Amino acid sequence: METLLQQTINGLSLGSVYALIAVGYSLVYSILLFSNFAHGGFLVIGGYICYFTLKSLGFNIWIAGFASLVGAGFSAVLTERLAYKPIRERTNVTLYLLIASMGMSIVIENIFVIVAGGRFRALPPVIPTHPVHIFGLATTSAFDILSLLAAVFFLGALQLFLIKTKWGLAIRAAAYDLRTAGLMGVNVNLLISIVFFVAGFLAAVGGIFLSVRYTLYPQLGMITIKAFVAAVIGGLGSLPGAVVGSLILGLAEMLTAGFISSQLRDLVVFSLLIITLLVRPQGLFGKNISEKV
Amino acid sequence: MAAIPQDMILELESINKFFGGVHAVRDMSFSIQKGELAGLIGPNGAGKTTIFNLVTGVYSPDSGHITFLGEEITSLKSYQVIRKGVARTFQNLRLFQRSSALENVMVAMQQHHQYSFLEGLSHLGRWSSMEREIKQRSLDILDRVGLIERAHQAAGTLPYGMQRRLEIGRALALEPEFLLLDEPAAGMNPEEVFELNHLIQGIHRDFMLTILVIEHHMDVIMQICPHIICMNFGAKIAEGDPDDIQVHPEVLKAYLGEEVEE
Amino acid sequence: MSGYTEGIIILLCINAIAAMGVSVLTGFTGIFSLGHAGYMAVGAYTTAILTVEYGVHYIPAILLGGAMAMVIAYVIGVPTLKLMGDYYAIASIGLGEAIRLILENWQSVTRGARGYPGIEGYTTLYVSLAFFAVMAFGMFNLINSRFGRAFKACRDDYIAASLLGFNTARYRILSLVISAFYCGVAGALLGGFLSFIQPIMFDMIKSTELTSVVVFGGLGSMSGTLLGASIITLVTELFRPISQYRMLIYGAILVLIMVIRPEGIMGQYELGPRLFRRLKDKFSFRNRDNSEGRSS
Repeated sequence: METLLQQTINGLSLGSVYALIAVGYSLVYSILLFSNFAHGGFLVIGGYICYFTLKSLGFNIWIAGFASLVGAGFSAVLTERLAYKPIRERTNVTLYLLIASMGMSIVIENIFVIVAGGRFRALPPVIPTHPVHIFGLATTSAFDILSLLAAVFFLGALQLFLIKTKWGLAIRAAAYDLRTAGLMGVNVNLLISIVFFVAGFLAAVGGIFLSVRYTLYPQLGMITIKAFVAAVIGGLGSLPGAVVGSLILGLAEMLTAGFISSQLRDLVVFSLLIITLLVRPQGLFGKNISEKV
Repeated sequence: MAAIPQDMILELESINKFFGGVHAVRDMSFSIQKGELAGLIGPNGAGKTTIFNLVTGVYSPDSGHITFLGEEITSLKSYQVIRKGVARTFQNLRLFQRSSALENVMVAMQQHHQYSFLEGLSHLGRWSSMEREIKQRSLDILDRVGLIERAHQAAGTLPYGMQRRLEIGRALALEPEFLLLDEPAAGMNPEEVFELNHLIQGIHRDFMLTILVIEHHMDVIMQICPHIICMNFGAKIAEGDPDDIQVHPEVLKAYLGEEVEE
Repeated sequence: MSGYTEGIIILLCINAIAAMGVSVLTGFTGIFSLGHAGYMAVGAYTTAILTVEYGVHYIPAILLGGAMAMVIAYVIGVPTLKLMGDYYAIASIGLGEAIRLILENWQSVTRGARGYPGIEGYTTLYVSLAFFAVMAFGMFNLINSRFGRAFKACRDDYIAASLLGFNTARYRILSLVISAFYCGVAGALLGGFLSFIQPIMFDMIKSTELTSVVVFGGLGSMSGTLLGASIITLVTELFRPISQYRMLIYGAILVLIMVIRPEGIMGQYELGPRLFRRLKDKFSFRNRDNSEGRSS
């Protein structure tokens, strides 16, 4: 019983970090309709900015965190401007964007291999990881609770941004139809930049928590595959879907690790993906897409 | 009329189709006899294309039966319906844009010249004779629809009217018994429409085909179709020959709108 | 011939075989897979186990490796190929990774993550050339047959294809199964070339590489695929001394191709009369434009 509660909290915590990554990825998908494989790169950029800021400017997580989120946001915008904008302005073949994003993902990863080296780095202990007892029922770490709270905070902020602001409204309109939104006078390029900034920003939050959990290394971005899986389980392009999918995935992973075997957790993740798609090909919250004949 | 053999080729029996809350096709029944050149008319959004989609297995009806040559095809998949001898064109052209006009026809023509996988892999056996035949017969079809000069041009770069004719050619290559044409005259100028009418009547005669044409331009249909079905809001409102249809009050209402009493 | 040159030629053959497999699926049938390294792994492990544990001769063992990849592809393809576009791409990552994880965890058969050593070095120059020649012959024949046209029809418009009487689901599976066979054989040959295989060799990066080669060569061009595979293999060898920059350059090239020439080196054209005719047309059009320009 104690393990169950503990693994549930750990699962929700891990799932909420996936959610931060998956939501950004899903947001980009909803606007440009392609899988941005460079999304993992944004997370790595965020992680390294945080690491080096902490090392050089002293151990202030607020400064480092801020620099990391904004830096990753701008890197995402830059990635879009350099690699995707020229393509999307020329064709509407989303496959080309997808392949370019695979290229950018390799580029970003290897910039860090060259600049920072391939070794694993532990973030300085700026986020508390001491054990916390919950009503005497279970023991978990402060880190898990913090990452859960941070995720809730940022996802809530995103929701407010999308509902309350002018740009949020424009983004929701563009998710229905980007071209029409453009015809209605929305500055499409600026809108896409904002979306990428938000995606990079949220990925960096995930990146910081993941580098505390697993240490930081150039290939850390590979973990976004799980966030992609979560987004697909939830339904590509659906933000609530991305969050629910992420929580399911986090729980499945931690419960497998707790009760079956730690080695099988990834296998469970991928089986979950395939089963969901077989039962519900458009994902849990996805729109049923049928082409007009 | 007595010259036409009295066997049904297609029969729709109280077909209903819903899309969400929209009752797209209501209690639709009609039948087409072998050898007919029939027309399906109605205002935009009347459900004409939905009828084609139901017949060709793109959608399956929520209730009712569809029979083709006496055989129930209601729940068959598209490719199964096509293999029974049905072919169709599309309102918004669906050619293989990057392939040449010839390849577009060949891909349909090959359905009746099926050599085995091993023959395809090795180019031995029937491969060469069948490929030659596929190509030759496809060229014949292109000639019939007046596109032989454009055989090697990418389909997507052909002028619009030619693309419409290429789609008819591709459907003919399936050697169907029953051909469904979905607004073949859409976007054509009067001269092209005249040629098209000529082509449709020609293939109807030469290939001994049964044809059902969708149009919402009444004048096109009135000229070529002796049997016309008119629908509006998903239901059949009239059926008969052009003279009947032209004066049918329901048809006039559908096309001209309800007369307002002063 | 030096051992080094020989090695490069063998590697070229292996990469070309795998790339042809991905090409028929991605370039010709329009199914984007990011898990094909998994099928290479199945081929490699099946052949390794058959030759090492059961003493099977390498030629039937390689073919059985390919056949095993086909069987696995069929079993997972039937349900998953219903998925379209990005959904299948993500699912294929899952499938590829699942195969790798199973190989890593199935210690008793695969010896786990540390790899499978001691494979007989059966992939000699002549073996690899012979496999390449036969398989390339078959592949080019296939795409120039009714099957190639059917694949392209499914790729370009699956609704139109099914309304021309194609059972599109069946052709999608057929394409996947053929592509798995090619990748399986390539994996088996790789095992015989390196004498050692390890699950991590067949991860998502390898899958991405396979797909990029095909895109680089031109989606829908088999000769482009061979050209792409050769260039990427040679460039990879060229940059071996500065290996840390290798992947960086590789990624940058991928982006650049998409920005500059997304249709790949060859577009959808094959080296042959059709390309020649097209070039001629282009050229004559240009002449006509020029003369019109002068006359006006």
